[in-house]
Formats: sequence, C-alpha cells, structure tokens
Amino acid sequence: MSLLEVNNLEVRFAMRKEELVALRDVSFRLEKGERLGIVGESGAGKSVAAFSILNLISKPGYISGGEILFEGKDLTRLSLQEMSAIRGNRISMIFQDPMMTLNPVLTIGTQMTEALHAHHDISREEARQRAIDGLAEVHIPSAATRFDQYPHELSGGMRQRVVIAIALITKPPLIIADEPTTALDVTIQAEIMHLLMELCNNTGVGLILITHDLGIISQMTERAIVMYAGRIVEEGDTRDIINDARHPYTDGLMGALPQKTTPGQRLNQIKGGMPPLNGIPDGCAFNPRCPLAGDICRSTFPEYTTIGTTRVACHMAGAGDP
Amino acid sequence: MSQTTLVDVQGLYKEFPIHGGLLDQLTFENGRLTRKRESVKAISGVDLQVMQGESLCVVGESGCGKSTLARVIMGLIRPTQGEISYQQKRIDVLSGGALLPYRRKMQMIFQNPYASLNPRMTVQQTLEEPIRFHNPDLTNAEVKDTVVSVTQSVGVDPTWSNRYPHEFSGGQRQRISIARALAVDPEFIVADEPISALDVSIQAQVLNLLVDAQEQRGLTYLFITHDLAVVEHFGSRVAVMYLGTLCELAPTRKLFSAPRHPYTQALLSAIPRLNRDSTDYIKLKGEVPTPVNLPSGCVFHSRCIHTNERCRREAPEIKSYDDVSIACHAVEESRI
Repeated sequence: MSLLEVNNLEVRFAMRKEELVALRDVSFRLEKGERLGIVGESGAGKSVAAFSILNLISKPGYISGGEILFEGKDLTRLSLQEMSAIRGNRISMIFQDPMMTLNPVLTIGTQMTEALHAHHDISREEARQRAIDGLAEVHIPSAATRFDQYPHELSGGMRQRVVIAIALITKPPLIIADEPTTALDVTIQAEIMHLLMELCNNTGVGLILITHDLGIISQMTERAIVMYAGRIVEEGDTRDIINDARHPYTDGLMGALPQKTTPGQRLNQIKGGMPPLNGIPDGCAFNPRCPLAGDICRSTFPEYTTIGTTRVACHMAGAGDP
Repeated sequence: MSQTTLVDVQGLYKEFPIHGGLLDQLTFENGRLTRKRESVKAISGVDLQVMQGESLCVVGESGCGKSTLARVIMGLIRPTQGEISYQQKRIDVLSGGALLPYRRKMQMIFQNPYASLNPRMTVQQTLEEPIRFHNPDLTNAEVKDTVVSVTQSVGVDPTWSNRYPHEFSGGQRQRISIARALAVDPEFIVADEPISALDVSIQAQVLNLLVDAQEQRGLTYLFITHDLAVVEHFGSRVAVMYLGTLCELAPTRKLFSAPRHPYTQALLSAIPRLNRDSTDYIKLKGEVPTPVNLPSGCVFHSRCIHTNERCRREAPEIKSYDDVSIACHAVEESRI
C-alpha cells in the first residue's frame, strides 16, 4: 500500500455565475519515505492540490470528485474531528512565510508543545523536553533558551527551522512543504533545503515539495509532477523530467531558465501567459502557447500516455521528440 | 564595449537614522544623562563605475544595501557622504531644477509592477505623463505617436492603451513599466529586481525584452537582483555586495568560473542547480550581523572561514587584480 494515493481528484470553486474547475483529474501516489516535487507557475493549481490533501480548501472551493487515500483511509470522507487527528499529527504542513505561520504573541515553546498536547496525552515536562530535542534536531543553537523566546527574536532562517521542527515534532510519516524557502535568501535557502534533506534521510518521512524553482526540484526530489492550468501535464522520475522533458510546457520551462542557456543568447520564451480558470482553452489547455500545437490539440482533450518512466498529457509527445 | 565611464560612484555612504525625537535619544548611563543616536548603515563606502553600454549587475542578499544603492544613484534619496557623477558631472549636489535633464537620461524600473503603476491611470495616461513632462514642446499628436511606438516596442498592443493596469497580467504590467522608462528615451536604466515578482516563463520574456531594448537603443543598465542565475545570463560585470560594502567586482564569466571572495564563493555554491547534488554547498556560520552595529574590521569576518587577526581589526580595501576587484585580506595575502 502506498503512503498516499490520490485518484482523479477534482476541486471546484463555486462562484456566483459559474463553477470554476481549479483541479481536474489529478492522480499520483507517494511511497513511504519518498520525496515528490510539484512544480508549476502561479495559478497552476499546485497549492490547491496540497491544501486539498489536508482538506484545507475553504469556501467557495470544495472537493468535487476523486479520492485521497492516506494509509488506506479516504481523507475526503473523514469527519472534521477525524481530519483534525490527522492534520499536524500524521501529515504536517510547512508554509511559505515563517512570519505568517508562527503566532507572534506566543513563545516558540508554546507553539511547539501545542501540537504535542493536541495529539498526545503527555505531561508538560515531557512535552518541553521533546520540543527542545526537536529544536536541537533542526540545528538551532542553545535550544533551551530559544524555547522561551518569541518569533520576532529569531531571524527568517531560524523561524523556518522552528516551523520545520514543529512539523516534525509529532513524527508524521508525511510532510507537505509549500514553497518553504521562497521568502528566504539563497544562502539560507540552501541551508534549509540541506536540513530538510537530512531530516528526510534520517527519519524516513515522506515529502511533498511544492515550488516554482526547477533547480530545487532537481536537487531535492526523486519524482516530480509538472502542473499546468489545474492539471498534471507530466509526471515521472525527476532526472528524466529535467534531462528529457516530454511535454512542450516542461520543455519550455527548462528553456526559459537562464542556467540552461549559454550566456548572451536569447532565452527560449513561452509566448503568452497561463490562462485564467474561467478561460481555459478547449482541447489541450496549453495549445495557444504551444509551438507544436496541431488541429487535434485544439479539439481533443489529451489523455495520458506513458513513455519510459514518465506519464505525459500531450498529443504530440508520442510522435517524435517535442 | 567602450570604456567611457557613464556613472561614477565614489566613497558612498548612506545611513538611515532610527532614533526617535530628542526625548527618545536620552538615556541614563552611569548616573549621567547621555544622548545616543543610532542609525542603520545601509551603505558603508562603495566605489563603483558603470561603463557606457554595459549591464552591471549588483547582487546580494536582503539587507545588503543593493536597493539603497540604486535609489541613491537615481537621486531618489541623498547620500550621507560621497559623490555621484554622471558623465563626469557631479549630480548628487544638484537641486531639483538642475537635476531635470539627468532625470530624463536616467530612468528606473521597479520590482513590483502591481505597485509601481498607478491603478487609477490608464496605460495611455501613465505613458503620456513622463513624455509631456520632459518634452513640453511636443504637440498632442507627437505625444500620442511616441506612446504608440513605445508600447509596440515592448510588445503590448497599442489598442489596449485605454485600459487600466488591473486588466493586464503581471508580465504585461512589467512591460508597461519598462515602456514608461523607455518613453523619454533614456541613456541609463536602473532596474531594481525587475523580474523577481514574475513567473519563470514570463521572466524569460521580460529579460529578452530588456536585452533587445539595450541592443536597439544602446542603453546602459544597472541591474539589481538577488537571483544569481539571471545574472549569469544577463550581466557583463557583476558587483557582489555584503552588508553595505562591495566584496567583489568582476566580469560575469570570471566571477562564475572562478569566484575569489569567500562570500562570493558561498553565494554561488548556494544556487540550486539542475543536475547537481545539494551537498557541495559552502555553509556559512552564523547570520548576517545587524547593520546598526557593524562588525569591526572586515564586515564578513564573523562568518568567514579564512578569518585571521587582521580581518577582525582592519577593514579590507578594494584592490584590483587584472579586471577583478576584491576586498579581502586573505586574497591580498594570497592565503586563498
């Protein structure tokens, strides 16, 4: 049994005039201890996908179809109470901005032990000890002092370490990290990513890493999903996706990276922008921006084809190299 | 590339006071009333020359003073100390009226196109305003023609010019703010993180646009960014800043193939690369010190692995080695 299995997930937002489909036909699985990356640009639906796993989609959005099997249980059918027993306990989440995630009027210690008290019958003394151990585990110096401090007394990198320590304190089998380093500087980003990697290797926790940075995906994950306009357009081993992209969108994203281009040469640009949810084109959602688009792309919705280790939704992918 | 200096920055310092009024400054120390004034040292001693026709990139992490540098050069804020010259003419001492011709020659592109365009002005109004201001003699028709040609040159359909900024996507908005900068036909453009707020595929579009504009109009860029991958592609020379000082200034290729300052080395190793393990990055100890109380000696000494007694005591001067300038005792003493 996989740790997490998402089948045909669909998320809709009920607006006044129309229903917008934010996520369609999203299926993927994650094995124990595996690291999966989800990439895409703003509006691709990667955060919606992560939030829906924890059932955190708020109105007017709702899960309109599909199932999310976590350790064999379908999370879409759980009651609020059953879901609360999973959130922060079996699945933890790390958000983008540590200043927004941490409560500024509570000490680090209070926020760390809160998760323990909520899920375990544990004494105050024991919770304190576990929290201090947790801080030491993410390499925070003088953990016992930090325990009694407030978030504003810590730097951005330190705060994100605290957030990671909170996520790990209940020893969950799965962590979802939504752009965990976007708000941080590149040297601190490298430290945090290094730390996450080390923790994954030591504790065997599974990781879903959401980011727009293909470099991070390449360094951190074993498998990757590329999303476009609410759908998975390509999924496979990270190496294959980086080195041998099958979908023209993935290919375009790679070409747009300055580090893939010889300095001084023009970057390979994808024309246009991501369509809004109420204006997703017929057929393949990518067809107006695609250099390979043919008649079939404008008329027919592309189903998935498997090539090697990758699964790709493109009419042109099977026929020759995109 | 010609070797004439377009913008010359000499001995620049900028401090921002953070003390309050007189009463806030007063404290009791050893039974005596003393007055204490504190300030953030955003830039402490930067010398920099921008050559005609080049793209000079300034990189560094948040709080290193790179945006302050851009704003001081543009004359948006006054330096505490130091000189800024444009074509050998000192401009930091000029008053508003005398600065006008330079304002036309120097234009700025800001980071966030959602904040830098007035939401209550149409694109037409936004673009007309600087043209009319700097060229009061132009007729209405001439102004309109200029707007059309400049919107076309950035790849925005001129028939959309009666729309408001909210009707455009992020990438289009950034094109419009580039058009606004180009509208008065400048020579020198300061771009402060112009693509940081944009998605990867849109970043490529905007970068290509900036390169095209440079080729067509012979522009000189000062490009402020924290994204080193972009610098590698875009810049002709790179200046690395740390805590208000310049660490290293080198031609882009040299900097990326053989970084010499220990901070540059750490910074480059931290870029997430495709197809490279994350394990070989250089971990810096500690954190960036506060710019309120700068460390003694070299500002980087508390985090550097090559620190010795001299680094703690004496601030390194920036020295030239061929076409590379580095401020580091260890490099000077050939220890690294």
